[in-house]
Amino acid sequence: MADMPNDFWSGWIVLLTAVSFIGLIWLVLSVYFTPQSETQASDEPVWDGDIREGNTAPPLWWFWLILATMVFSVSYLMLYPGLGSFSGALRWSMGHELQQNKRDYATKFSTISEDIIASSLADLQARPEVMKTAGNLFNQNCAACHGYEAQGQASLFPSLRDDEWQWGDAPEQIETSIRHGRKAVMMSWQTALKDEGVENVSDYILNGLGTSDSASHAGQAQYNLFCMACHGEKGEGNPLIGAPNLINDIWLYGGSMAAISESIAHGRQGEMPAYDTRLDDVQIKILIAWLKK
Amino acid sequence: MSGLSLHKKLEKNAGLLIFGILFVSSIGGLVQILPVLFQDSLKTASANTVPYSAVQLQGRDIYIRESCHACHSQQVRPLLAEVKRYGPYSRAGEFVYDRPFMWGSKRTGPDLHRIGGKYSDIWHRIHLIKPRSVVNDSIMPAYPWLEDEPASAAGDIQKKMQVLKTLGHPYSEQEIEAAPSMLDGLTEMDALIAYLQVLGTSAETSEEQGHH
Repeated sequence: MADMPNDFWSGWIVLLTAVSFIGLIWLVLSVYFTPQSETQASDEPVWDGDIREGNTAPPLWWFWLILATMVFSVSYLMLYPGLGSFSGALRWSMGHELQQNKRDYATKFSTISEDIIASSLADLQARPEVMKTAGNLFNQNCAACHGYEAQGQASLFPSLRDDEWQWGDAPEQIETSIRHGRKAVMMSWQTALKDEGVENVSDYILNGLGTSDSASHAGQAQYNLFCMACHGEKGEGNPLIGAPNLINDIWLYGGSMAAISESIAHGRQGEMPAYDTRLDDVQIKILIAWLKK
Repeated sequence: MSGLSLHKKLEKNAGLLIFGILFVSSIGGLVQILPVLFQDSLKTASANTVPYSAVQLQGRDIYIRESCHACHSQQVRPLLAEVKRYGPYSRAGEFVYDRPFMWGSKRTGPDLHRIGGKYSDIWHRIHLIKPRSVVNDSIMPAYPWLEDEPASAAGDIQKKMQVLKTLGHPYSEQEIEAAPSMLDGLTEMDALIAYLQVLGTSAETSEEQGHH
């Protein structure tokens, strides 16, 4: 209670604590050390000839137990914060303890942390204990979306096992994705293409792109006009802007004609949240090594 | 007077006995609760803490209605393991606009105080409709009906904000005026997600926490 409102309330706590404590001592002492005469007042009810209130003292081990708790509470209030604004002889506080634990943690792992930062990804991948830790980190932070096997799920969250990396597979690009997140925006083309255009372009993407007769396909002109700027002339995609490859047969939102038409007609929004406040440099590095493995 | 004779007096006088019981049982509260009511640091919003928007406030009430707080605490304790797992520990000043706060003490599911921003909106939507579709060993119940009701159905938002204003939440008349229109077109699901995404985003950085 380092920030007690003022001395009054601090004094209030000390006073009430002290008064209750003294009251308790008096109560215990008077129960154990009352003269016989007082307990045998003549107006007391008597049962079976000699049973009356207070004629057997409470067990003595109660007394020692109560005494022990009192000694404990006085020692506690002297050593630890609790008595008003008095912070205790040990100067203990939960915040300081946490800071100390953080420092101990940093010291304990400083060698291995520096080692990891200095190591190549290939070296890290060869160390089973590092990979195990990275796997645990993945489960804790990433698996809810990408799945426990990093297989991707829900036709929304990409697989991280295959070779398709929407935002690039270079370690630096993956690091940016983890640290700052990604927002992918595929616009809705329904207005521009109309139903027929959506159908033609979908068919072109599935059956025309990259084939020898692509030039004769009905959807090519519109593909080149609306889609090529991001996805590339041959559908190779562009990781710099998160435009996925359209010819590797990996489809995040589904590879059927219907799913592709839906993507074109209504657009898609993908979001990867930023994790730079949740993961530190070492954690991010071993995650990248784990993901690239 | 000894303890025994006081006891004899008390057990023969009901009025005195009642007074004695009330006095003794109030000491704990007088020492531990009363001074805290005057402790400014517990009533002052921390630097980044602002009142909930109309949508977030509605989402919070849906959170309470669905008893999310029965399984999820909202309190990251100042322990190394918790700080490592969830992020900066919770500070009193972050909860001044929570009436009531939902710190909780039982975690059937994970703590949610730092959940804001951890997952995307769409993830929350899928997860609330069908938790097992994204977390296959989850034991969380599904809440598909949140999609069916408009956010405005979860209580009179203007009245809630008025009441909170009388309790000291700094809502302006314009904000209260505009509140129903903020809920327009949103479902209860949208409101709940808006609340989840703002949870714990007023955290101080760990450097700031080091100074306390």
